Parts: sequence; C-alpha cells; structure tokens
Amino acid sequence: MQSKTVNNVRVGRFELLMDAGFGAQKAGDILIRAFARMGKYVFIEPTIPAEISPPPRTRPALSGVIIRVAEFDLENIGNNTDVILASHEIVLDRRLDDEEHNPNCRVLLDMCDKDLPTAIYDKVLKRVKDSGLQIFPFEVVPEAQVLIKSLAGKARNMYYIGMLACIYNAPEEFVINEIKLTFGTKLKEDVFKKNIDLFHFGYQYAKDNVPFGYEIKNASGKNGHEKILIDGNSALSMGIIESGIKLVSGYPITPASSILHTLAKVFPSFGGTVHQAEDEISAIGTAIGSYYGGVPALTCTSGPGLSLKQEFIGYATAAEIPIIIIDVQRSGPSTGMPTKTEQSDLLSVIYGSHGDSAKIVFAVHDIIDCFYAPILARYLAEKLRLPVFIMSDFQMANSYKVLDKPQICEMEDSNKIPDFVLEHFGLERLPEHIEMVRTQQAAPGTPGKMRRITGLNTDETGTVNYFSKASQRSHAVRNEKVHCVQRALKKPELFGGREEGDILIVGWGSAKGAVEEAVSYCQNAGLAVGGMCLRFVNPLPPMLKDIFSRFKKVVTVELAYGDPQKHPPLAMILRAETLADVQAIISRVTGRPITPRSIETKIKELFHAGVA
Amino acid sequence: MPELHEKAPAGAPLTVKDLNTENPRWCVGCGDFGVLMGFKRFLVEEQLLPHETVNVSGIGCSGRVPFYVNTYGVHAIHGRPITIALGVALARPELKVFIHAGDGDALSIGGNHLIHGIHKNFNCVFILYDNQLYALTKSQSSPTTRKGHPTNTQPKGTELEPIAPIRFALGMGASFVAATADWLPDHMVNTLKVAYAHKGFSFVHVLQRCPHFDPENFDNKSSAWFSFLTHEKGVPPDKRLAGKTETIQHDPSDHEAAFKFANSSHTYFGLFYRNPDKPCYDDMMRQRIVNAKPLPRSGILDSYKI
Repeated sequence: MQSKTVNNVRVGRFELLMDAGFGAQKAGDILIRAFARMGKYVFIEPTIPAEISPPPRTRPALSGVIIRVAEFDLENIGNNTDVILASHEIVLDRRLDDEEHNPNCRVLLDMCDKDLPTAIYDKVLKRVKDSGLQIFPFEVVPEAQVLIKSLAGKARNMYYIGMLACIYNAPEEFVINEIKLTFGTKLKEDVFKKNIDLFHFGYQYAKDNVPFGYEIKNASGKNGHEKILIDGNSALSMGIIESGIKLVSGYPITPASSILHTLAKVFPSFGGTVHQAEDEISAIGTAIGSYYGGVPALTCTSGPGLSLKQEFIGYATAAEIPIIIIDVQRSGPSTGMPTKTEQSDLLSVIYGSHGDSAKIVFAVHDIIDCFYAPILARYLAEKLRLPVFIMSDFQMANSYKVLDKPQICEMEDSNKIPDFVLEHFGLERLPEHIEMVRTQQAAPGTPGKMRRITGLNTDETGTVNYFSKASQRSHAVRNEKVHCVQRALKKPELFGGREEGDILIVGWGSAKGAVEEAVSYCQNAGLAVGGMCLRFVNPLPPMLKDIFSRFKKVVTVELAYGDPQKHPPLAMILRAETLADVQAIISRVTGRPITPRSIETKIKELFHAGVA
Repeated sequence: MPELHEKAPAGAPLTVKDLNTENPRWCVGCGDFGVLMGFKRFLVEEQLLPHETVNVSGIGCSGRVPFYVNTYGVHAIHGRPITIALGVALARPELKVFIHAGDGDALSIGGNHLIHGIHKNFNCVFILYDNQLYALTKSQSSPTTRKGHPTNTQPKGTELEPIAPIRFALGMGASFVAATADWLPDHMVNTLKVAYAHKGFSFVHVLQRCPHFDPENFDNKSSAWFSFLTHEKGVPPDKRLAGKTETIQHDPSDHEAAFKFANSSHTYFGLFYRNPDKPCYDDMMRQRIVNAKPLPRSGILDSYKI
C-alpha cells in the first residue's frame, strides 16, 4: 500500500452520511462510545430526516452523524469537517450544500452501485474537485459485498465503522466491544458474526488503502472524574427525576418526545408517571392539575405545542399554580423543519399568552445545564407560583457528549435546593417571603383552608374582583415576583475575563459553546473582543446596560431570522432593555447550529469595515 | 372570601349551611340554582369532607359553581376542566373530584377532552349542565341547541341537528351514564349519589333551564314529555312525580336497551348504563409504579457511565 500520513491533531471532525434506515446513527453511536471509552472527548450531532423512511438515494433521505473528537472538553460541534464518508453521491451532494467542510476536507465516497452510469457520479465528483476537496472513491470489497447481500443490504454501516475506526486509530477491540454491547443480545449469532466480519473488512480496507489517518490523544481521564456520555434530552429526563418532579405530561412532538420515551422506561421505578395526553392543551392542563394537588409536574413540548399551551400558561400565572414547561425549540413557523434547530421561540415564550402574563424563562447552555435545569425550575416555580420555562433546542436535545458525572442531590423539598445548583445558574437564593396575589395558598386536602382558584382577577382573599385597584395590584404583585428573580441574578460570565473592549458578542442558550470558542479565537488573534451567553432571558440580568457600556459595539448571534430591517428576538429584547444599539451579526435560520468560525469571520469583517 | 373556613366544629355533621359561600351571580330563575342546591344536598347526605372535595369547572354560567360551594375548587379555562381534574385525580387519589361543565364547554371547545375523559374512565363525577345554548356570552348556538331555535349567531334559527349527549357518551363507551334535570331536586340528589358510588368517569347529563335566553325550553310544569328509567340498582323516580309520570324498569347493565332509550326522541331521566368493571386510567398509572422495581435516585446516571 501507499504510505500513510498520520496527522497528530488536538481536535478533529468527521461525518458519516447514509440513507435513513441504514444505521448511520447507530454507527455513530458505536464509534463515539468506543472513542469515549478510550478516553477521548466527543460531541456528536445527528442529522435526522423529518420522515421515518424517505425513499433511498434521494436528498431528503440524508441521515447521518457529525462527530467531533478532541483531547479537551468540547462544548459544541465545532466548525468544519475534516473527513466525510458518504454511502452514495446524492447524500454527499445534499450535505455539501451546507458548506460545513474544511477547504482540505477528505471525502470518501462509496462507489457501490456499479450499475449506475458513471455520469451520475461524475457530476458530484466534479463538484467535490471544484471545491478543492480531496476525493477518495472506494468500493466495498467483494467478500464484504457478499455478506451485505446476505443481510438484505443492511449492515453496510459496519464496514464504514471499520474504515472510520482505522482512520481515527481506534483499536479494533474497543469498537467490537461496543458493537457487542449494542447488538450482542439482539442479533442471532451468525448475523452478529457477519456484522463483526464486515467491521474487520472495513478496517482492513482502510488500513491498506486510505492514505491518511488522525491521531488524537486520550486525555479525558486526566482530571480523575468519572465520565458519562449523555444527550441533552436524556440529561433533562434524569434531571427531572433528580428534581423530585413526579408527573411528566406531554403529547408526541419532535424534538421533545424523546424526554417522554426516556422517562417512560424508568420513571415508575422512581415513583413517577409519564402521562401521554390527548393533545398539547390537555398535557399542560393535567400538569397544572397535578401541581394544584401538590404533586410537582412538568410538561415538555416544541413550537406548535407551545402555541397550543399558551392559554393555560397565562392561567397558571393568574391562578398562581406552579408549572414547568420545557420548550425544545425547532425550526418554525408552523410545522417548519421539525428536525432542524432554531432559537426563534424566544418572543412567543416571553410575551406569549394574552394580557400581561408574568413568567420566568431561562435557557440551557450545555448538557450539564440540562441535568440541573429541572431542579432550578422546580425551585422557582414553587417559590413564585409562576410558569417557569426551560428553553432547549433540537441541537441541544440530540447532541451528546462526554462530560464529568454531575453531582446528584436527590431533591425533595424545593426550598432546600442545594447552593451549588443556584451557583451553577448564577442565582442568589430568593427572599424567604415573596408576596402572592392571594394570601391563602393551601393545597386541597388541607382542613379548614378551602379555597377556589380562578383565572379571573381576585383580591388578596381570593374573591373575584373586577375593580380597578385589585387588577392593578395583581399585576404589580405578579411582576414583582419576576423582579425579585432579576435582583437575584449575578453578573453573567464574560468569556476570557474581558470586561471592556471593542466588540461584545452576546448569545443565549445553546449558543454558549460557539460564542466562547469564537471569543477565544478573537482574543488569541489580539482583538479586543469579549463575549457572554445568557441563561436567563426573562428576567434579564440587571447589569447588562452597564456591561454593554464598556464595549464600543454589542452584537448578537442567534438562530432566528433577522435582516437589515428586522432585529431578531435576542437583539430586540437587549435593545429594549439597555437602549444600546445592539445589532445581530448572525441571525440565520438554516437549521444548522452556529459555528465559532462563522462568528469569528463576522467579527473580523466588522473590524475590517472599521465598525469597531 | 369570608367563608374560607370550615364552619362546623370538628366532628359535627356537615350541613348545607357549611357549604354556602357568597350569593350566586346568576339570573333569577336560573336552572343552575337547582343543580347547585342538589349538589350541596348530595354532599351533605354523603357527608363528604369539604377539604377533600374538589370542584373543577370550565367557563360559562355553570363554571361559577365552585365559587358557591365551600370546598376546594378550580375555575379553569374554557373547555379544559377535564384535563385539570385528571391531574388532580392522578396526584391525589383520596380527593373526591367533581367536574362541572356546560354544553359549550363539554361538547364544543372541550369535546376532545370529553372523548378522552370518558375513554380513560378516571375516577370523577362529570356533571354536564345542558341549557342548550351559550348563555354567559349572551345567546349563541351550542352543539345541543335544538334545530330552528334562533340565537344571536344564527338569528334565523340554529341550522344543525343537536348532538345527543347521552348517545355520545354511550357510544364512547362510558362506564356510567345518567340523566336528570335541574327542577327534579330529589332525583338529582339520588342520581349524584349513584354517580358518586360508581368508580370511574360518571357521566351525568343535567337538563338545565335558561329562563333569560330560552324561557320556552323545558316545560317544568308538565311531566308528560319525559319518563323515568328505574331499577333496584338505578335511580328511583323523583318523589314529587312518582305515580304521575311514566316510569320504566331498565337494567343499567343492558347496553343495548340503554342505546334504544338514548336514540329515542322522547326524554328519559335516570340511570341509562353502568359498567362497574371498566378499568380506570388513574389506577393503571398508580399500578405501574407499584409494579416497577423501586430504584434509588442516587443511581440515575449509572447507565450513562462510560
């Protein structure tokens, strides 16, 4: 074989692209488990079609995984891809549209279908070459083809796993161990053996024929902490158990459903119930009923479901019943792109429902936040008797990574929320006494304290009251609950410790990893650039105006639509709150996550144009 | 709210007076007064503890019922009381849950929840206050408005044939279906008692007069237009009308016969159907927990270890 170039790198990114239903996700899962067990840091983002089985060899059929591997802790999926392995030219062509590959990206293209006229391949091959990428067409070796045929065309993913394991220098036994853990008991022995054989064929093929490889150090064991590998929605699910919530009430909707799936398997063992309601409205109604009965409850949803829940959200505000809502945002409006990420629910969450409906809204930065968020949400909901939103998104829900195993607190009484959770979210403990619209808040079953709750306005005794002073008071009391959270918010972290300078980059929620990394690029390049990423978006931290005043320019990066005549949501609320001339530099709705490099490029453009 | 506290001293029997709160804000002659009184009398006869009783209502004239009974109560949003009641039933099986919903609330905006409340058969008494129009919003056609009756939204007469609530409930597989009327106090109390004794979703249809917007409907001076269904396991005919009104023996376990009465254009009051064996969703959910192997929360992340 030709000589192999091994690149020693600190971080790398590769993709496996296949038709839906042929096991790309499973392959990615096996690979990253092997990498994680070897001691690498990994971050994986699946690419999932919105349909179950779109026709193969079509663009909508693209199903794949993007995997980032590093010797250091990863907070995002990174910028661009070094290696693409595509099962055929159509999924490759589709993915190249996203323009997320490095200029020197290496493309391994399976030329499996020899019956097709070469002209079909030529077009894509030309596109790859014209983009300056390196193309490595390959064919699955004949012995492996026979095996794949005997398995009805499935298990080609095993061959690909073999190739990628070899390219990223994963010892075969690590990967085989993961294949065993995944399929060991589910497949018949002979079928399982064929899968393993395919893996070996792929590994051997890459060893003999692929002229490049990557070496990334195994360093995750260094800090001595136990590690877990978990995705955002699973971390939220486990956090729900941890928080002492006992009812999760939902209706199937992508990408929130997997919270219901994960909990349905284990929740009863922890005394919890997963309730699948007849619709989104009923789901929140039942959660509100449970919380009224004194049993902590939560509902999870995504865009269209959020719209349906809005009336009940305002009701919970008015009736002073705690309720927790998880919004796993996806691309909108309407059905939009159910399996693509976006952050455009911000305004409909903060200002949703009708009238002035006070509520608390905070977002998760990363997977560790997902785990702790339900604990904080329960504390806030019960303390304030207001709706509390946890904002996640498709990208956060479905990405998974290696992280230090978080501390477990097994919360019972939300008043006893551990200090470390409050500190984690940058919140002081709230005052002991917080005024409610109604003085009396007993739960049913309490003798002598019977009361009726309502969405109608009442006075402090709970009596329906339509008079002017009573309505003004109710509004003031509800908003004061939000204000007291604002007063408890600490200053958000400024990345790289930079407190002043030319440009401040602001993101919210899942943008954190990208903003932090972009800020480090800029600061390393000697630019006076700072950055922060907000968790609390309603209320906002009170010191933003002050922080913003120390930078010449403040810009946002967000996955929501904006253009020169329209500020996207985060920019809009920051402008309103601070009167600073905040402009969005990234406000796109491509369904793809924000990358650190795209932020850096925009910042450099600003400097180049002399704006900062 | 001056009547926040249980007025009877501990141990003293519950009286109607203990259940009173404020004066209802209903029109003079409203059928809701009859239902409210019947409901309170039922609570007293059963001696249900006010602090263990939860009345859940929707929006409309009947939606105000919880305010007028000194128990726990939830005045919910339009059409959704069933969803909240289910949450209460799942959270606190020891509480006695009553749902009060109008015809618009139950059969129009909240129709989906009624389908699934009946289907889930969770333990509660569901009282459908059917005045056959929207009253609090000032006379619009509802799903049960009789064809031809003029309303503010259909001034030339309501276009559609009405939905028949009893037939609907039987068709959905309700485990308990009964009917009564606001002006039959004795019958109402007995109906509620049988409904309460049934474990599951007890569907009680109540014809309710609206003298303000539809004074001609439901001639309560005559009893010629309806009959009582009765049985040893059912509801006796109203005391005042016994012997004066047609009374038919009907076995409430006979689903087919129940359908025949429900399909008739004649009006029947009494217990149409009861199936004590239909499983309850709230029980199933609790059983899931009982059947599951308990696990310590300290180990929740173990399966994610790498």
